Amino acid sequence: MTRILAVAALLALASPALAQSADSRLTLTFETGAETGAVMVAIYDAEAAYEGGAPARVARVDVAAGQREAVFDLPAGAYGMKAFHDVNGNGKMDVNPFGMPTEPFAFSNNAVGNMGPAKWDRARFEVSGATAQTIRIR
Amino acid sequence: MTPTRRTLFMGAAALAAARVLTPDKAYAARAMAATVDWSLATADVEGDVAPRALTLVQGRAPAGLSGSLYRNGPAKFRRPGGSAQHWFDGDGLIRRWRIEDGQATLAARFADTPKRRQEAEVGAMLMPGFGTVADPRAKIGSADDASPANTSVHKVGGKLWALWEAGSPLAMDPETLATEGFVALRPDLKNMPFLAHPRIEPDGRIWNLGVNGRQAMVWRLAADGGLEAAEVIALPRASYIHDFSATAKHLVIVLQPWVHTRNVMPISAGFEWTPQAGTQVLVIDKSDLTQRRIYELPPFGFFHAGDAWEEADGTIRLDLCAHKDMDFAARGAHEVLNGVPLGGEPAELAMVVLEPSGRGRLERTGAVGEFPRSDPRRAGLARRFSLHTTGERADRPLASAVGVTDWASGRTRSFDFGSGHVTDEMVYVPKPGGVHEAEAWLVGPTINLKAGVSELHVLDLMHVEDGPVATWRADVALPAAFHGNWV
Repeated sequence: MTRILAVAALLALASPALAQSADSRLTLTFETGAETGAVMVAIYDAEAAYEGGAPARVARVDVAAGQREAVFDLPAGAYGMKAFHDVNGNGKMDVNPFGMPTEPFAFSNNAVGNMGPAKWDRARFEVSGATAQTIRIR
Repeated sequence: MTPTRRTLFMGAAALAAARVLTPDKAYAARAMAATVDWSLATADVEGDVAPRALTLVQGRAPAGLSGSLYRNGPAKFRRPGGSAQHWFDGDGLIRRWRIEDGQATLAARFADTPKRRQEAEVGAMLMPGFGTVADPRAKIGSADDASPANTSVHKVGGKLWALWEAGSPLAMDPETLATEGFVALRPDLKNMPFLAHPRIEPDGRIWNLGVNGRQAMVWRLAADGGLEAAEVIALPRASYIHDFSATAKHLVIVLQPWVHTRNVMPISAGFEWTPQAGTQVLVIDKSDLTQRRIYELPPFGFFHAGDAWEEADGTIRLDLCAHKDMDFAARGAHEVLNGVPLGGEPAELAMVVLEPSGRGRLERTGAVGEFPRSDPRRAGLARRFSLHTTGERADRPLASAVGVTDWASGRTRSFDFGSGHVTDEMVYVPKPGGVHEAEAWLVGPTINLKAGVSELHVLDLMHVEDGPVATWRADVALPAAFHGNWV
């Protein structure tokens, strides 16, 4: 979970993703369990980055303002996505006293880990042309 | 002698056979071949058990006995693609034994957990547990995803809470036994562990622990389940804590020398038996959790303690089922799953005595005892009786008898159902209008191994040695369960 927390810290500083010219467009739609706060999204373009490096793109989906989508223009290729829902809008992923997340988190492909964040092999997906995923984060 | 091709081949074949027929499996095969089919105690139940009437086969229902005994225990261990490796890791089956108007009924439903859904879909037991390693296919985002919800069941605020020890309570409907979902006691305390042995004060207030290595959450809940307080405390060591105790004024946390030393799976493999460290008892003031005292006792292992109490001079007493070590947890409960007699010493009923001077001791009774229970109206207060299973022997798994120990006389009276029965924990049920602690029944099931069905028994606490005053028989066999409560 420490990696999720590191990403959370990074995303706290993130500004909304700027669409860049690229050959493919990824649209992520988030199904949230709460109507408040924001979903913080990080896109990774390689396994090493996904498992502990820097994201290629980040986005903040303002759930409280009615947003549910994040759109990224990206070079075609393999990607992984990590997100958490900052339900109370305090800018971080809250954890319980034993360090376990108390706010919803999700990975691309709606992948779930095996005692830890979903690994690259479960979260990896191809972006090619117009690509869309609906992510349940509740 | 020069090995020939033939001796080499035979040696390889013998090695291969030994790998398949490990000693415990060979032992299991022998045990199973005996006259009594132990495997019923840890058999799989394939689906929910629809409500059904039981047949009265002995005695009659005592006048005024009316209520439900909810019990929980693992009842699904094996799937074609992979099986649980430890008795503690099967799916929780919540059973309701109901006695009403002289009749008895039984209904049972599995806790409909994310674990069970995922495993049913894949056709394999996937989740890690106390003694089971995770399958690589398991999808686990939180401890609750791996919860079998299989250890106990309490009625809290109109709901049943199926309890495990490493995750959240699972709410269920007490009438339909339908699963409703995990309980978050506060949004910021989601996914915190909640032991399966809360201590309930006579007015219904609930104290419990959630343990994580050398720290524990102390939960305090109102009788309706509403959270009153949650505070993390430090523990002097990372003991395995399945159960704790409490007096009216103090929490009493027994810290056995089975200590978490390694982050490995399964959970049980991470603990080490360190008898040289002795057993410690941490006593904490309920009204100020910073006020604490530690007692040093000789080493013993344990799963279960009874409700503690304090004498006028401040001496704290609690009954406890002392194991020589924790070999049962580390090894024995794997073998129980295969019906293997343990060959180890059964637990002994004992009394922990903590003197105001700071000295502590363990007073052994010589009586075999596990699954201790007592009068819930006297929880945390001075009392005389402990109910417990007994009759467990090294050459058979689990208990065949139920006992009542009178701490005033030091005497244990018991009734042995015989080698054809496996006894579950029995609970204390006060007689209507009774005020004396002795005016009570023991209510609980056994598995009648010869008839191949479960039975429900009522015994009179004052005449436990006379055997059941009423016995009903079911048309199904449910495997041995762990804990439950009379409602």
